[in-house]
Amino acid sequence: MAYPSTQTDDLKPYCEKLSVLPEGGVSFLMMENLRLPAGCQPAMCDALLCPVAKDGYPSRLYLSVQVASTYTRNWNCSNARIGERNWFAFSWRVDLPNPTLPQLLIAHLNGFAKEK
Amino acid sequence: MKAHIKMTGELHAAMLKDLTRRHPFARERVGFVFGRLCSLSDGGRLVLLTRYHSIPDDQYVKDHTVGARIGSTAMTWAMQAVYHGRLAREGIFHIHLHGHRGETGMSATDGREIPRLIPGFQSVGRDAGHGIIILSLDHGCGWVWVPESTEPAHVDCISVIGSPIGVFERRRTE
Amino acid sequence: MSKDRYSRQSFLGANSEELISRCTVGVPGLGGGGSHIVQQLAHIGFQRYVLYDYDVVEESNLNRLVGANLTDALAETPKLHLAKKMIYGLQPKASILGIPFKWQDKPEPLRECQIVLGCVDSYKTREELEIICRRYLMHYIDIGMDVHGKDKPVIGGQIIQSSPGGPCMRCMGFLTDEKLAAEAALYGNAGHRPQVIWPNGVLASTAVGLAVDLVTNWTGRSRTHAYLAYDGNEGTVRESLTLRNLAIKECPHFPLHEVGDPVLVEL
Repeated sequence: MAYPSTQTDDLKPYCEKLSVLPEGGVSFLMMENLRLPAGCQPAMCDALLCPVAKDGYPSRLYLSVQVASTYTRNWNCSNARIGERNWFAFSWRVDLPNPTLPQLLIAHLNGFAKEK
Repeated sequence: MKAHIKMTGELHAAMLKDLTRRHPFARERVGFVFGRLCSLSDGGRLVLLTRYHSIPDDQYVKDHTVGARIGSTAMTWAMQAVYHGRLAREGIFHIHLHGHRGETGMSATDGREIPRLIPGFQSVGRDAGHGIIILSLDHGCGWVWVPESTEPAHVDCISVIGSPIGVFERRRTE
Repeated sequence: MSKDRYSRQSFLGANSEELISRCTVGVPGLGGGGSHIVQQLAHIGFQRYVLYDYDVVEESNLNRLVGANLTDALAETPKLHLAKKMIYGLQPKASILGIPFKWQDKPEPLRECQIVLGCVDSYKTREELEIICRRYLMHYIDIGMDVHGKDKPVIGGQIIQSSPGGPCMRCMGFLTDEKLAAEAALYGNAGHRPQVIWPNGVLASTAVGLAVDLVTNWTGRSRTHAYLAYDGNEGTVRESLTLRNLAIKECPHFPLHEVGDPVLVEL
């Protein structure tokens, strides 16, 4: 699946490198060293944005480490194997009608910055 | 270093079918098959063959001293294919068939002629593995040059992941 | 050792013993299903194994863990040790790479296999195993069972063969987003899945039968895929109805150009 460059260009400022990773019929967006919101430990890590429905969520943000943040999260996905790496994700449902990729990313990052 | 080549049954069948076809003047047919290099757990290498290119009849050159000789058009195509495969670290393997059953190996001519192609492939596809595969009707052997190596690794096993599975192992003579 | 050892399976073909001995099989998970599978593979003559399990024998396993006894439960014998003992007892020259971790933590050894027999307990793990098998060109044979309903229990299960180039578990209608979502929603609350030995035996035996056929082609069927549904109440194993409308010639989920290590396309 090809993503519009108008949207992917707006993802680039959030990370050091942005790539597409196709696997199992899904095109993940791989963000190397994604900058996480203030209060997160570590401050940055690799991330995979899955903009399509997966594992019961309309979209999902996977992280290379389990990130500590201001709000305690339910890390209900550990060692998900994608692209020959292991990933973590916490329970955070983003229900936006037809979001752009940057909107989606911000909504997922709000999982660290907002209580609900 | 351990080296293993894998291919699907479909690819193996397609290559056998093509390589057993008669050529108007060459005694053998040759082709190029592309493969991706990955690691094995003990430092070994695995090559996963992906696609086959049959060399058109008119890209052979008449040379009665060898089983088959391909011309510059075929080589140019091969180099361009290696160039385009760099992102996927896809390397190229010269492949041909010895039309007998059982284990096979490089003839003296094979050993003299084919390895000469490898440095050129390496210069274009530096991060890929390139090499040589020789099939028999029911077996096969291979050599892989991993990136930056001047000497090949002799392939220990070629697996055909089809139905049935084929496992062509090199019998160690040392 | 007598030459008669494999004489009763000579119908598998003249070279079957050699073909079987050359094949490397991976078995991630040595519990109720995996222990059956390993036992049968060893009996038949498989010599090369890549095995994964990080768990130990517990009393609750004894209703189904083939090869385990009371002492193993008391001693908390690693399941991996049990499997190796079973194999070596039948095939003393076997080559076994035993990994006491989750396969996801050390996946590289699996790449050497021609066949992987998955005996795992989640749809997610099945999906991940299939992905690695497609990436590194391995036949994947999956088994699983479940029991539904409290008042009138119904035992169901599956034996699936997913092979590179052929239809995958999604194509065959087994893996669906709905199943994965429902499983994800139960995370941490799944509880213990019902498990009993005889359905495991049926599933494991059928899986081993598929594996032997892949190696020897004794049936001449040259299967590119399989989805067999087990009805534990009726005692039947039948081709799944979802295959009747399978019109897929090339799997759209795992195109062959995506084999090998992941390729990241920078944007």
